[in-house]
Amino acid sequence: MGKGIFEGYQRLAGTFDEFFDADGKPQSAVAAVVDHLNELTRRDFRRLQGLADATFLRGGITFTLYDGNSSTERIFPFDMIPRVIAAREWREIEAGLVQRIQALNLFLADVYSDQRILQEDVIPRHLVEGSKGYRSQLKGIRPPKDVWVHIAGVDLIRDGEGRLRVLEDNVRVPSGVSYVLENRETMKKTYPAIFRNVSVEAVESYTHKLREAMNAVAPGEGGTKRMVVLTPGPFNSAYFEHSYLARRIGCELVQGSDLFVERNRVYAKTTQGPAPIDVIYRRIDDDFLDPEVFRADSMLGVPGLIGAWAAGNVAIVNAVGNGVADDKGVYPFVPDMIRFYLSEDPILPQVDTYVCAREDDCSYVLEHLSELVVKPVNEAGGYGMLMGPSATRAECAEFRKRVEADPRNYIAQSRIELSTCPTWTSKAVEPRHVDLRPFVVTGDRSWVLPGGLTRVALRKGSYIVNSSQGGGSKDTWVVGEST
Amino acid sequence: MISRVADSCFWLTRYLERVDTWSRLLDVTSSFSLDVGPDGSGRWRPLVIVVGQEKDFLERIGAAGMEDAEVVQHYLVWDERHPASLFSSIRAVRENARTIREAMSVEMWEAVNQSWLWLTSRSAKRLYDRERGAFYERLSSDCMMFHGICYSTMLHEDPFTFMKLGRAVERIGQTSRILDVRHHALGESSQDDEESAAMAARWLAILRSCSAYEPFFKRAANVLSGSAVAEFLLFERTFPRSVLHNLDRVRGLLERLRQSNDATGKSPAWESLERFRGSVLQLDMDEVRRQGIHRVATWLVDETAVLCNAIHEEFLDPSIDSLRARVHRNDRVAARRQLRAQSQVQTQG
Repeated sequence: MGKGIFEGYQRLAGTFDEFFDADGKPQSAVAAVVDHLNELTRRDFRRLQGLADATFLRGGITFTLYDGNSSTERIFPFDMIPRVIAAREWREIEAGLVQRIQALNLFLADVYSDQRILQEDVIPRHLVEGSKGYRSQLKGIRPPKDVWVHIAGVDLIRDGEGRLRVLEDNVRVPSGVSYVLENRETMKKTYPAIFRNVSVEAVESYTHKLREAMNAVAPGEGGTKRMVVLTPGPFNSAYFEHSYLARRIGCELVQGSDLFVERNRVYAKTTQGPAPIDVIYRRIDDDFLDPEVFRADSMLGVPGLIGAWAAGNVAIVNAVGNGVADDKGVYPFVPDMIRFYLSEDPILPQVDTYVCAREDDCSYVLEHLSELVVKPVNEAGGYGMLMGPSATRAECAEFRKRVEADPRNYIAQSRIELSTCPTWTSKAVEPRHVDLRPFVVTGDRSWVLPGGLTRVALRKGSYIVNSSQGGGSKDTWVVGEST
Repeated sequence: MISRVADSCFWLTRYLERVDTWSRLLDVTSSFSLDVGPDGSGRWRPLVIVVGQEKDFLERIGAAGMEDAEVVQHYLVWDERHPASLFSSIRAVRENARTIREAMSVEMWEAVNQSWLWLTSRSAKRLYDRERGAFYERLSSDCMMFHGICYSTMLHEDPFTFMKLGRAVERIGQTSRILDVRHHALGESSQDDEESAAMAARWLAILRSCSAYEPFFKRAANVLSGSAVAEFLLFERTFPRSVLHNLDRVRGLLERLRQSNDATGKSPAWESLERFRGSVLQLDMDEVRRQGIHRVATWLVDETAVLCNAIHEEFLDPSIDSLRARVHRNDRVAARRQLRAQSQVQTQG
């Protein structure tokens, strides 16, 4: 046997590795995959990786990076070594995700109607009503079938002990699922042999499930429902995904300017005149959805859309106003929500979080600033964060002042050492940090896509998995017992 | 279908047709220059004029460049700064295709994407430098391939119809332009049938740039002359790039759209087409000779623009007011229908 690609693989000390245990033995679920891949030399592997990259380029499976006047289309880097999860573990994750989404859904229905959870003081009112994602204008609106979170992308990370924890709930417009489906397809096309003797759970039913869910929430009685995917347009970096989903669901892809509202009904401008629309899977943020209700300067949305939705004439997927449910300030209370609405204990753990609004938590945070990650609750995308372990003294002191001045605006978490997965670096296989974004689709009931999007930080030592900053992705396998 | 998507289907094939026509025209013009030797002056300038870029060319490149085969070709193939270059057209094809991938088959998208990736690759530049003819042939065969792929992979319904519609109207304009190239090359006075070897070569070049060389000679009555060529390109119904053939085709396509849309009311696009087509049917070669080919060609290009506007207003970009009015009309019809159903139930009860 030639030199296999895993030869000389060194896992990182103090980190959980998705493939190899402390003694360097493959975890049982990955044994078959490791055997397969080890039959490849580095040269073979390089060739396969090249084939896969060419497939993405040919298919135009790209995202666009804008830099001043110019734009470049890039493929989202794809790593041919799959991320493997044992089916037994997955069943528990699945149950945990469904439970979580159920609770978040009940929470949304509650905060936009009776607000029981606020009245009973389970969650501080100011955190909910002060959240940027909370839309007081929507109070009293009930979306069709009371489904708010039709599509969720929940970010999970594996801690040092190997336990998966929820890091973040994305229940507004989560993206990335097209890569899950394309990654699998590319993998099958370029390296069918790797699926030999392994039973990997299929992912392609995602779009059928999504279609079913959209159908289930369509207003009115049976009959054919007209559904559309609403995109900000071809200059959006995720346009590929919008177009992909429209094609797979078998519905039309529209931009805001293709729709109009008349007498509280939504119509598309078609070559045959106005065509009524029943379900809109929107990929536009709340703020831009309806200039009559939210940002007046939005050119992307549809004037009158919210009125049509409130009148029950159209389903919007995901519902409007969901931002309050995946707010950083609300996150620490999700386990309480689960207990409050479902009378169950949370199945999935999440990252321990200190809420500075609580006096005890706050004094703990102030004493341990240099060990914690401190986040303001109302900032998106990592702005205004303190990474305690790597911060300077001055930065910590500065943050101390900010937290003391406005404790209600801050939460803090201990830093989690993300797990690693063996990843091809163009020369060899090395450990790289990964996270996982499973997708949950909810119509009449919830369904979890087996696996999800594994994002990998391709730069050595990096924890940043975003595609714009050196992140890539992997095919994610839920694998049953070896056959 | 969504009007914007129909618009992109329509424009996708219009740009594609430009690539097809112009890569063939450039190919023929460069090999034609070789045929007749170094006396090549005035051969490239007409291309720049007919493509509508004279002003831009003079401003940015200068008059001297118009006589230079390499400068003009580079301008018409690679220059990204004007919309008429092959490069810009293929980019527009691809951008339109990317925007409406949901309306196309995977095979169509991959074909368009491959052409674009190739054009931006080093091997395209190399082929352009070393084997100019093969470069142009590749582009024009990519275009034809695309139509074949469309035909055999996509549903033959509205998006397909709009793609064919775009191609047909673009061909009317492009064939007219090619006839006009001759005018700009020779001047109106020499349009009559001079029987010299040099003239014959020019007529043949015109036929070649419309892929009409062999089809022309299949019509036995045609002897090679200026008016025979013009007549063929204007009125030969069975020739797929002739003006009349494409007017017939537009007619058929508009009819198909009306059928698939169950349309009964007035159709401005249809009316515009009938007017245009009627005038072309009344035209004959005596009249063309009398007016001069340049005037006729210009008229055809202008009428095509009028037709396109009508198609835009009716299908591709209808005004919001007309749409709102249609909603109200539909609501009234539905209400009346409901009322009638109720009264029937009551009388039965």
